[in-house]
Amino acid sequence: MDSNMDDMYMKPGNQERGWNDPPQFSYGLQMARGPQRNLLNKRAAPPASGAGAPPPFSPSPNPLSPPRCGVAPPPLHTAPPPPGCMATPPPPSGPIRSQKEAESSQPESEPDVQAVVLVLKRALAACRRTVRDQVCNDVEKRLRLLEDGWRSGRLSLPVRRRMDALAQELQACHWDTADEIHRSLMVDHVTEVSQWMVGVKRLISETRNLSPELLEPLHYPAEPVQDPTEPDQDPTEPDQDPAEPVQDPVSPS
Amino acid sequence: MATYQEFIQQNEDRDGVRFSWNLWPSSRLEATRLVAPVSCLFTPLKERPDLPPVQYEPVLCSRANCKAVLNPLCQVDFRAKIWACNFCFQRNPFPPSYAGISEVNQPAELMPQFSTIEYIVQRGPPAPLIFLYVVDTCLEEEDLQALKESLQMSLSLLPPNALVGLITFGRMVQVHELSCEGIAKSYVFRGTKDLSAKQIQEMLGLMKPAAAGNQGRPAAPQDAAASCRFLQPVHRVDMNLTDLLGELQRDPWPVPQGKRPLRSTGVALTVAVGLLEGTFPNTGARVMLFIGGPPTQGPGMVVGDELKTPIRSWHDIQKDNARHLKKATKYYEALANRSAVNGHNIDIYACALDQTGLLEMKCLSNLTGGHIVMGDSFNTSLFKQTFQRVFSKDYNGDFRMAFGGVLEVKEMGIGGTSQWKVCSLTPSTTLGIYFEVVNQHNAPVPQGGRGAVQFVTQYQHSNTQKRIRVTTIARNWADAQSQIQHIESSFDQEAAAVLMARLGVFRAESEEGPDVLRWLDRQLIRLCQKFGQFNKDDPSSFKLSESLSLYPQFMFHLRRSPFLQVFNNSPDESSYYRHHFVRQDLTQSLIMIQPILYSYSFHGPPEPVLLDSSSILPDRILLMDTFFQLVIYHGETIAQWRKAGYQEMAEYENFKQLLQAPLDDAQEILQTRFPMPRYIDTEHGGSQARFLLSKVNPSQTHNNLYAWGQETGAPILTDDVSLQVFMDHLKKLAVSSSA
Repeated sequence: MDSNMDDMYMKPGNQERGWNDPPQFSYGLQMARGPQRNLLNKRAAPPASGAGAPPPFSPSPNPLSPPRCGVAPPPLHTAPPPPGCMATPPPPSGPIRSQKEAESSQPESEPDVQAVVLVLKRALAACRRTVRDQVCNDVEKRLRLLEDGWRSGRLSLPVRRRMDALAQELQACHWDTADEIHRSLMVDHVTEVSQWMVGVKRLISETRNLSPELLEPLHYPAEPVQDPTEPDQDPTEPDQDPAEPVQDPVSPS
Repeated sequence: MATYQEFIQQNEDRDGVRFSWNLWPSSRLEATRLVAPVSCLFTPLKERPDLPPVQYEPVLCSRANCKAVLNPLCQVDFRAKIWACNFCFQRNPFPPSYAGISEVNQPAELMPQFSTIEYIVQRGPPAPLIFLYVVDTCLEEEDLQALKESLQMSLSLLPPNALVGLITFGRMVQVHELSCEGIAKSYVFRGTKDLSAKQIQEMLGLMKPAAAGNQGRPAAPQDAAASCRFLQPVHRVDMNLTDLLGELQRDPWPVPQGKRPLRSTGVALTVAVGLLEGTFPNTGARVMLFIGGPPTQGPGMVVGDELKTPIRSWHDIQKDNARHLKKATKYYEALANRSAVNGHNIDIYACALDQTGLLEMKCLSNLTGGHIVMGDSFNTSLFKQTFQRVFSKDYNGDFRMAFGGVLEVKEMGIGGTSQWKVCSLTPSTTLGIYFEVVNQHNAPVPQGGRGAVQFVTQYQHSNTQKRIRVTTIARNWADAQSQIQHIESSFDQEAAAVLMARLGVFRAESEEGPDVLRWLDRQLIRLCQKFGQFNKDDPSSFKLSESLSLYPQFMFHLRRSPFLQVFNNSPDESSYYRHHFVRQDLTQSLIMIQPILYSYSFHGPPEPVLLDSSSILPDRILLMDTFFQLVIYHGETIAQWRKAGYQEMAEYENFKQLLQAPLDDAQEILQTRFPMPRYIDTEHGGSQARFLLSKVNPSQTHNNLYAWGQETGAPILTDDVSLQVFMDHLKKLAVSSSA
């Protein structure tokens, strides 16, 4: 799966419902972890004088020990930390960003609902030959929910972006990658997607079993993306004639 | 091996075994004199990315009551193609397929680096995994919605061929038919009436003509899938089931003021167990129970529906005032045993602010190897992510869950074996195995000078393959009279501490609390008397060698732990903590006994510090890991700086990094641990600081504060005995000639 920074985030837990609820990791961040480093597994040896006797500690009169770079320590309690020195460098960490930060920092173009839906519809059309009608109709119903939700602005940007990525992977016949994206959406955005995502999941699993010749329509070039502010369609693209709704030639009436 | 430390670590890495003693006393009498029993922690399915399984059947000893597996300890005559079993000394011919072996061409199972080896065996058709969701609908709307979404999400995490089923319950119990046709059907059971397996199977229409007597064979997947409308492959029913889950409503029966909802958990479980018994005995199956409160009606009820009668506390139990406890526990134990016999395991996901009856129901998971997850609400990250991790995958993309485990332990000289069923295993599941040395005192050390133990674990892998993992280990016998120093240096104090702790927990569940502490103290004193170096009646002369030096500290913290101290925890919480304690591997278990404490400051890199109040300093950030909680505690000065906002200023970038450092370290733990721990971010004076203060050794209390002269570290307001006082008493008792 494309390790897009947007997909690797951590958000706080639900402190209202669970005391000390731990933070929640996105699917991407969960999956991205490398081999366990087991950083915190050492114990301090007890001092030689006896098990657990506290060392004779004489604190300096000023709790702010002078920093290494020699800046004079400011007075007690109200003083800031020693500025400018390289103190404990934090250990290397995974890319964590707050979710909001991630969303606003990537000025990518808005994914095109039409392109996404087109790929899915073509995949569905390819399935109609061999997969039961009832299943296909069910999938179609859910694709419609997806489209409606998208067009009416109910889907958040990360969901739209990932669906765009999913459609591209599906078109390229990268089944596992598409499946992984569907899983990441179910884990991270279940509230938004649960109604229709299972249809996309089914679509992926049925499409991957089709024989290659049935999959050819998937690879036809998509119609050029229409500028959403220009409703007038290019007259050489009959499919886009605004006077006629787009008909999927093999869908049931 | 330069040291026993290295030997111990290498053995754990390779075989997943940690023995309390790595030299074994050669007689029963000497073994008892060692105080700590000869025992080991064994992780049957320890993750070994470097160990590819072999694709053939293991070679077994031909003696009927031995059947040990060929292993690196066996003597082999490569010319005659014969091997001698190291357990019973039987000479066995190699099977024909081994005709080509020689000294330079040895099969893997003879090579020392394969003391642990895994075989893939083909036994019958591959059986699918089964997941049966049993869902309480007496939840608050917000919780039910969150739970529904988690269940829908989980359908995307299940393997496509897995079978899935749904039972919902409240006042009634509903078994949902998962057909692909439009109309949803379900079978309803009264929540008050207990039913036998046969009755359930009849009522669900599961009785097949040839069912009786068909004990050992699972039905062929095709037939079973066709005939069982309640357990269907995910890839066929995921869309319908998603809709079904989405449409689940709260239990419709109104709950009057002052009452609890009527929750028929007992019958729901009976139906689930009966359903699986009748359709898929002896196949890997997971019953996943989701509850938002205690069972309040029917068999297995834990508390009545009157809110003014609270659910039993430890006080009630000690005063014998827990009406339903015995009956409910017995009921669930019977269910657990039936489930275990069939190789099915039961998970409990309990999310509620009050207790849910884990004390009575814990056997369902403990006896079958299932999980217990305890949270405040289904709408929390703790539940959602812990639940996701049930389906986590390993480096091969396979689930980290194994089913239908049977563990056999073979020992030398006896030729007999002991067998246990462990229905569900994860790569971290660790068993404690306690041995008895049976040699008579003064009998000669057994032939070969080494004792051997073989662990044979048969199980169903999550990819449905049947596998057998064999671990064969050996340790030298030693004569305790002449070699006591060697035996002492082979002591693994970490393993011994965990093994003693498990014994303690086992006793605590059946005996009175104070008796367990007395027993633990007695064992510790005896151990110190045996191995301590001291002059009689002179406590200040007492010393322990390095291999035992940390052991008293472990015992000190164990005595204070929630595993043995029920004060301050509800019976459910104690059950939950104990459940996790007795199945984790050594490292995690030790964290539970004696939490890890790391200190972050400007004075240097993060370092482990003593779990002691003297480690709590104004200019430090502490990170404490108790396994169940991660606590980040900001010292007084740090807290003031944070409040003043210095971390936002460019010239105090180093302070920002300091604040971030423990968060980054905590993240690794948060990302991997199962179950997910609570996460507490607190500071000096904060109410949540109590989590830290209650765990550290109270070396400074209001009693002895002024004895140290200056305030060093944070004094703990407690009358608990400190480690120093504990050690002083221990030394006094150990050196006393009147003991």
